[in-house]
Amino acid sequence: MCLGIPGRITEFSNDRGLPMGLVDFGGVRRECCLSYVADQVTVGDYVIVHVGFAISKVDEAEAQRTFEVLREMSQLDELEWMREVADQSLAALQQGGGGGGGGAT
Amino acid sequence: MKYLSEYRDGAVVAGLVRRIREAATRKWTLMEVCGGQTHTIVKQGLDELLGDVVEMIHGPGCPVCVTPLEQIDKALALAALPEVIFTSFGDMLRVPGSECDLQQIRARGGNVRVVYSPLDALALAQANPDRQVVFFAVGFETTAPANAMAVWRARELGIQNFSVLVSHVTVPPAIAAVLDDPDNRVQGFLAAGHVCTVMGWKEYEPLAEKYRVPIVVTGFEPVDIVEGIHLCVSQLEEGRHEVENQYVRSVSREGTVPARSLVEQVFQLVDRKWRGIGEIPMSGLGLRPEFADFDAETRFDVGDRVVEEPAECQAGDVLRGKIKPYECAAFGKACTPERPLGAPMVSSEGACAAYYNYGRLRTPVRTGA
Repeated sequence: MCLGIPGRITEFSNDRGLPMGLVDFGGVRRECCLSYVADQVTVGDYVIVHVGFAISKVDEAEAQRTFEVLREMSQLDELEWMREVADQSLAALQQGGGGGGGGAT
Repeated sequence: MKYLSEYRDGAVVAGLVRRIREAATRKWTLMEVCGGQTHTIVKQGLDELLGDVVEMIHGPGCPVCVTPLEQIDKALALAALPEVIFTSFGDMLRVPGSECDLQQIRARGGNVRVVYSPLDALALAQANPDRQVVFFAVGFETTAPANAMAVWRARELGIQNFSVLVSHVTVPPAIAAVLDDPDNRVQGFLAAGHVCTVMGWKEYEPLAEKYRVPIVVTGFEPVDIVEGIHLCVSQLEEGRHEVENQYVRSVSREGTVPARSLVEQVFQLVDRKWRGIGEIPMSGLGLRPEFADFDAETRFDVGDRVVEEPAECQAGDVLRGKIKPYECAAFGKACTPERPLGAPMVSSEGACAAYYNYGRLRTPVRTGA
């Protein structure tokens, strides 16, 4: 029960004064209570839903920013790693070795 | 799916794992509080990726696992009453009580129904005015706003045939209990992202200060968790002990104020027994006196109960991080998801079920440096 999932609001409704709405979870749509986020969301916004209640609006700009930072970091790591490997192979070649590999060729 | 797939990017996880390895000068022991995080960690093998620099201890943050046996037995007694339609989140149905579980009560003719939201239970009460609908209100701070709203609406709409059996628990007292244990090995925490989405993280600041432990509010996807571990390890290496927020896209320091405030209007802090752990003072939520009319325990006389756990189940040691699930003699033998002895084997968020379902049947082979 404790698993919250992000979904996108597609429609607002109202149940006798309680703000409700249709939320799309990657194709599966369900009616959810939007009462706790009602003053900050519009159609198209992403919310985190727990047991039929939206408990927060996903900060899209922040989500994008965090992910970009992390991805950039991993790409930099990748580049560094490639440079290290290239440097090592180069050094091995300059020493007249076979790039550290076996003697199959 | 948006906000899920990006945070499952293997290359980003690998980059963060390298950074954790670079940062760690020794092995650190961390606890992820939430069962949802436990599942991501075990399913993706994140603990094995980092096994030589970080040990992950799985915390007590699975509501199914910590709901005390006494409350399960009360649920069973209520569900067996002929006038009652007993409603519950699906994962509570197979939690073993002293003698049976809710599914068996249903097989014997009890009217037990699974609902996705407590508002569904309320709708059921309106559709069945001649029956009593009882909802099993369990969970942490994540389900409390939903359950509080159901009770609030029942009063607002004058729905008399609806009541709740409450067994709510809260995270901060459980963290304090882990840290107060003289055998505690946990040096840093990944706090549960969705609990903090509702509650914010102000309550965690005095804990980080008093016990001098880093607490990192962390999400649930693999990238979230590995980044949470990275932030925690960095704090430990730098000798810091702060509350930090990894899950910025959902959590603010104040939390979701309207949700928090309705929870405070409907519930109050009470002492609560945790299954496998024992009583933790002021660690639960109970209905405030003004909502006593909606308390199933007073509406139906279910009595006080004291019951013993089955001796061969070591769920308590698993929940306190003293043993890994495969170290329990019953694990995978007398206790399986099909025939669970203890609650952590039942729940999709329980540590024993995670280890069983993802094939962690013995001590992992240590790899890496």
